[in-house]
Amino acid sequence: MSLNAVVRKPAQPVAPAREPERRLRPVERPSTRRKPKLAYALVALGGALAIGAAQVALSLAITQDSFTLAGLSSQQRDLSLHTHALQEELTGVSSPQVLASSAAGLGMVVAGAPSYLRLSDGAVFGTGAGADWTSTVNPDGAGAVSNALIVDPPPPADTTDDGTTPPPTQELPPAITDGLPSPTTH
Amino acid sequence: MTTRATRGPRRRTVVALAVILSVLVAFVVRLVDIQVVSADEHVSQSLTKIGAGDTIPGQRGAIVDAGGSVLASSVMVYDAQLSPLVITQLEEKDPKLPWAEASDKIAAITGQTGDEVRTMVADALAVDAKSQYVLLKRSLSTDQYIALKELKLAYLHFDSRETRVYPNGAVAGNILGFLDSSGSAQAGIEQMGQECLAPTDGEESYRTGANGVVIPGSERTVPAVNGGSVQLTINSDLNWYLQQMIAEEAQAQGAKAGTVTVVEVKTGKIRAAAEWPALDPNDLDASTPETRASQIFHRDFEPGSTFKAITAAAAIEGAGLTPLSTVSAASRETFPNGAVINDAFTHPAYNYTLAGGLIDSSNVALSKFGTMVSPDVRYDYLERFGVGQKVLDFPSEVSGILHPVKDWDAQSLYTTTFGQYYTVTAAQLAGAYQAIANGGEKIDLSLVESCTAADGTVVDSAAPKHERIIKEQTAAELTRMLENVAVQGGNADRIQVPGYRVTSKTGTAQVADEVNGGYKAGVYYTSMVGFAPVDDPQYVVVVTLDEPTKVVSSAATAPAFQKAMTQVMKTYRVMPSTVPMDELLPKFG
Repeated sequence: MSLNAVVRKPAQPVAPAREPERRLRPVERPSTRRKPKLAYALVALGGALAIGAAQVALSLAITQDSFTLAGLSSQQRDLSLHTHALQEELTGVSSPQVLASSAAGLGMVVAGAPSYLRLSDGAVFGTGAGADWTSTVNPDGAGAVSNALIVDPPPPADTTDDGTTPPPTQELPPAITDGLPSPTTH
Repeated sequence: MTTRATRGPRRRTVVALAVILSVLVAFVVRLVDIQVVSADEHVSQSLTKIGAGDTIPGQRGAIVDAGGSVLASSVMVYDAQLSPLVITQLEEKDPKLPWAEASDKIAAITGQTGDEVRTMVADALAVDAKSQYVLLKRSLSTDQYIALKELKLAYLHFDSRETRVYPNGAVAGNILGFLDSSGSAQAGIEQMGQECLAPTDGEESYRTGANGVVIPGSERTVPAVNGGSVQLTINSDLNWYLQQMIAEEAQAQGAKAGTVTVVEVKTGKIRAAAEWPALDPNDLDASTPETRASQIFHRDFEPGSTFKAITAAAAIEGAGLTPLSTVSAASRETFPNGAVINDAFTHPAYNYTLAGGLIDSSNVALSKFGTMVSPDVRYDYLERFGVGQKVLDFPSEVSGILHPVKDWDAQSLYTTTFGQYYTVTAAQLAGAYQAIANGGEKIDLSLVESCTAADGTVVDSAAPKHERIIKEQTAAELTRMLENVAVQGGNADRIQVPGYRVTSKTGTAQVADEVNGGYKAGVYYTSMVGFAPVDDPQYVVVVTLDEPTKVVSSAATAPAFQKAMTQVMKTYRVMPSTVPMDELLPKFG
């Protein structure tokens, strides 16, 4: 057994018991809620509508852009097709065979050895003679270097009756009375 | 303290937990197996069901010449098809363009007749009333494609495919090579430059759900990478001229074939490789399979007298000879080992100088000069000048034949001094003379300048090997003797290029008779090689003619050589010689 059992605690002075606070009390009357303002509702609604409208407008714009884009890319495809077509027309025409036989048609010859003039002292090197009338090769002869791409023989050089080539007619630039020329776009 | 009563439930808990855990572990193991270990396999399995895609073809690169002119490029062509079923369906309704009229318009574009087109469709309908496919025409040009598309006909469809065009036709055609119908390279640069030219195909992949609907966001595109373009060292304009010229000359001389090769002395770059008959890669059917390879690299022949210069080089360096060293040589002599050597023309015993032996192209004199050094030394010199080694690994190139010294018999001990018993190609011949012209320094020949990738990065070909094979002094003496050959030799008048000092040496090779064995009688593979201008050598020119019949000797090549050298000097604006020639070397001592 412990000592606590024998030594008694002196009696503590007891404070006068306070009346406990009441836990429940009647509710107070709620304050009267103010009437909601119509303006706020309108603003909110208007905002929502504006957002909606903006979205519609934006997506319309995007759609419009994608149409434009599609239009432009199909235009680009067409143009690159045309570029290819034009390049194909050039393939055979740009070959040395065509150039040589056109030149031969104009009466030009591939001459023999060259001559050089030194400007500082007027000295002539090489043959010192001009080209003669015969060409060292005949581009239209039996040995013509073949090219299956040249379908049509090159057109004869355009000469007038007296044997001179007419000056190339230069196309005039378009008149600008209707404003500056601008490319038509779709 | 555990009692019997408490032990029971606890054990059950442990057992239950163990079972649950082991099941869980099994699941985890399986999960790891599926998700980690064999994930790739499962993904690929699933992709076969839901994955789909297309390859995006890349375009093969172009081949351009030294100046940038396009020699080969890829273009699209179109195969047009008709759907007879749709035609009949439209005819029953009210068509915008009646078939009778439309077929005429189509035919006008494709170059057929309206009747042909209508018969085509009628035939298809006769076989199958619901026919959906008639091939209208293959390989339409872009122009025709655009015109047909503008007709806006519902029953016209097109397939596009890539094809190869060679804008300059047969110019350097044998060098360019060609592709077969499936698009794989078969010869020439097309094959040699495959690594650079070939495109890398791209891929467009996506996943599809039920009914083949593409799952949004699953699209992946790997763009195609076009092939790079190969730049050659060839000058296409010069090549055209030389091809035109050699075609005329070969036909004038009644030869079976002819070639001209031009090599830049200071760089070893091949500037022209012209041949006749030539291959037009646009039209393979116009050529025979034998003429599709490049003769310059493919045809080897016994060089004959052109290689007397190499014997002279070996004798100068190996036996200390000079151009004025002499031997006595008659036009026909029997040597101690029993070999009999003849000259091309009859003459009494002359006291030939080395220069004189080259000028008169005396086989007997060169046999005597050549055997002043051991066969091993001569073999070594032949090897140094490139005999028996390929020039640049060109497709279908041959290396020629160089027999080892132990195989040389009594006759070939002497014939090897004047270019027989071994073979070279025209390219090897050009390479050997490049070394002489370049003061004894041999530079490996090259044909490809660079590769430009599709993104613009330029990769130059590996720098060619430079190797000094003879002394500068020897090269100078050879050059002087070869100039004397040009001036004093039998073709002197025919090969003059006014204003320029040129060297030249002819070669006449016997041609093996493949039918009867031995050599063909009375016909030769003739060649002429030289370089100019002597005071500062710039270009080596090799001309060969296969079995000329009007003039059978190497004199047949003289006019072609003269024209070729003149044109080369003009094309590259080479200044005429300003230093006069040294005094003539005496032929006889």
